[in-house]
Amino acid sequence: MQSPESRTQKISGPEPDLVRTGIAGLDDILNGGIPRGNVILVEGSIGTGKTTLGVEFVYRGASLFDEPGIIVVFEVSPDKLMRDASRLGWDLRKLEQQGRLKIVFTTRDVLRQELQQADSVLLEEAASIGARRIFIDGVARLVGGTGTPDSRSGFHVLTEGLQRENLTAVLAVEASSFDGNSSTSLPEESIADTVIRIKMEDSQRAIVRSLEIVKSRGQDFQMGRHSFRIVDGRGVQVYRRVQAPRKASRDRAAALDPTTRLTTGIPGLDEITNGGYFVGSTTVVAGISGVGKSVMGLQFIAEGARRGERSLMLSLDEQVEQIMRNASTIGIDLPAHVKSGLVRVEYEPPQEIEVDVHFHHIEELVKEFKPKRVLIDSLSTYGSSLGTTGRIFRDFFHALVALMKEHQIVAVYNHENPEMLGMNSMMGSFAMSSLVDNIILMNWIELGDSFRVGMTIAKTRANPVNRNTHECEVLNGHGMRVLPRALPALQRPFSDYAGLVSRTPERRSRKVEPDESGE
Amino acid sequence: MLARTPVMRGACELDLLVFLHRHPRTLLTNERLAAFVGYEMKQVAKSIEAFIDAGVLERTQNAIHAARMYVLVLNGPGDGGLTTLLKLASTRTGRRDILQILRPGQLKTAVDITQGKRRLHAIA
Repeated sequence: MQSPESRTQKISGPEPDLVRTGIAGLDDILNGGIPRGNVILVEGSIGTGKTTLGVEFVYRGASLFDEPGIIVVFEVSPDKLMRDASRLGWDLRKLEQQGRLKIVFTTRDVLRQELQQADSVLLEEAASIGARRIFIDGVARLVGGTGTPDSRSGFHVLTEGLQRENLTAVLAVEASSFDGNSSTSLPEESIADTVIRIKMEDSQRAIVRSLEIVKSRGQDFQMGRHSFRIVDGRGVQVYRRVQAPRKASRDRAAALDPTTRLTTGIPGLDEITNGGYFVGSTTVVAGISGVGKSVMGLQFIAEGARRGERSLMLSLDEQVEQIMRNASTIGIDLPAHVKSGLVRVEYEPPQEIEVDVHFHHIEELVKEFKPKRVLIDSLSTYGSSLGTTGRIFRDFFHALVALMKEHQIVAVYNHENPEMLGMNSMMGSFAMSSLVDNIILMNWIELGDSFRVGMTIAKTRANPVNRNTHECEVLNGHGMRVLPRALPALQRPFSDYAGLVSRTPERRSRKVEPDESGE
Repeated sequence: MLARTPVMRGACELDLLVFLHRHPRTLLTNERLAAFVGYEMKQVAKSIEAFIDAGVLERTQNAIHAARMYVLVLNGPGDGGLTTLLKLASTRTGRRDILQILRPGQLKTAVDITQGKRRLHAIA
């Protein structure tokens, strides 16, 4: 009987000869590329980006991988193709002049006859430049119309012709049946080696593009619908769906360093969190708007800069200039920290966030900037943008937590809890407290005729925690501080009350608690 | 410029060259090519032969079927101004001006010819 280890052992074989598409993000979800010689069917309705994807496949091959290519078009004139390509930053004319690309204009009738002949003029042209890639734009009517009885055999003839020349071929096929949620498949799909289905989908009145590898013979790939965009000056950008599994190292990296802590930057908070936040930990600061979450966040970032640690702030709520101004009111010179290269502040408007694209952006920022601290302001804005009922938000947050842990980043997420006085639940409808290491509850507490700010450490994973509610104050020019439990001042300290967070503060008879040193 | 382009004898040659300039590598039957440019097949075939003789067009053919691969041969600045002429001819005004010079008998006044020549000269 096999041991569990031997059952999970991979059988090693020859390394597959993969053709890298060179399209940003696509090779990642193809786990490196597409097996050489595969016939790749790209199917989608009008305007989805089939031509762009096919042209880029040939362009990248010729310009990056020394693999000349042929583009065959039926309706678009080559000069328009070149014009459109130049907008995406691709100089097809130059490649033609260098003999690494040929763009052939023909008709479907001619091509059909051509590919049935061993001495095809088209394939001769391909051979003359040593072409390794070919893109044929619009094969549906070439093979007798999509899904017709003739189309399957016509398509078979076409693929045989291409395989004779060992060309890795992208064939674009228009298929309107893939609009919406229909899962109708084309007969050609069974003949093609790789099938890439691209779509335009409605997303809360916006239109987003998605790409799915339906099948790809001879390789593993990342399943599911991934987002993509067509970006001027760059071309196709594929963004792996946020739920897709990442490297195993991401999970292994969690809690790599179980002892190092980073100070919070808030006077008094380190004392009640056993010295600060653990490296690689996830902290949620929850509370109603105006309670001081962003102030705490700015102090956390500024503390990092003071200690020479790179800190990144991602804001969906306030624009960069506004954040800078807010920071200056509590004595933090954020522009100076930004100038020094220790702090980066990024703002992204929360409307129409494409979660895969947004996550990719964060991932790139983390890889490039290598922060030790990250502040995200706020989690609740993600919730209102992505919705909290489905899996998208939860999966996104899960991926975000895993990313931060992989890079051993201390991440603080501000979360607006809508309850004004006290709290019924720590994270409201978000229901993700199990993913979080530390939860700090910030509350308004009404005593007499004023609201005072209370802080309760509700959860600190792998730490002893005292769940006393501490009073905080925000001082102009200084920021927030946690007050000692026993106040020498005139006002009554929180320790004189019970029921602060459950909205029923009542004074209790004063007795000195052993841990109330007041220092 | 037109004098340096002897293959340009009339509208068919001009329109065919403009088409081939937009589709510099084209695999078509003569019949289809004639349909694309909108001239008689005979006339198109004659023009093509002239282009091949003049070295501005290359043709590859397969004995088994009628499609031919046509490749327009332009050599940048050394092409006798053909590229410039074809760019000019791809606009409605430019095409009319060139045709006026190619077919002066069909023009109404000498002023038209002069204006057309001036415009061409200015662009070239």
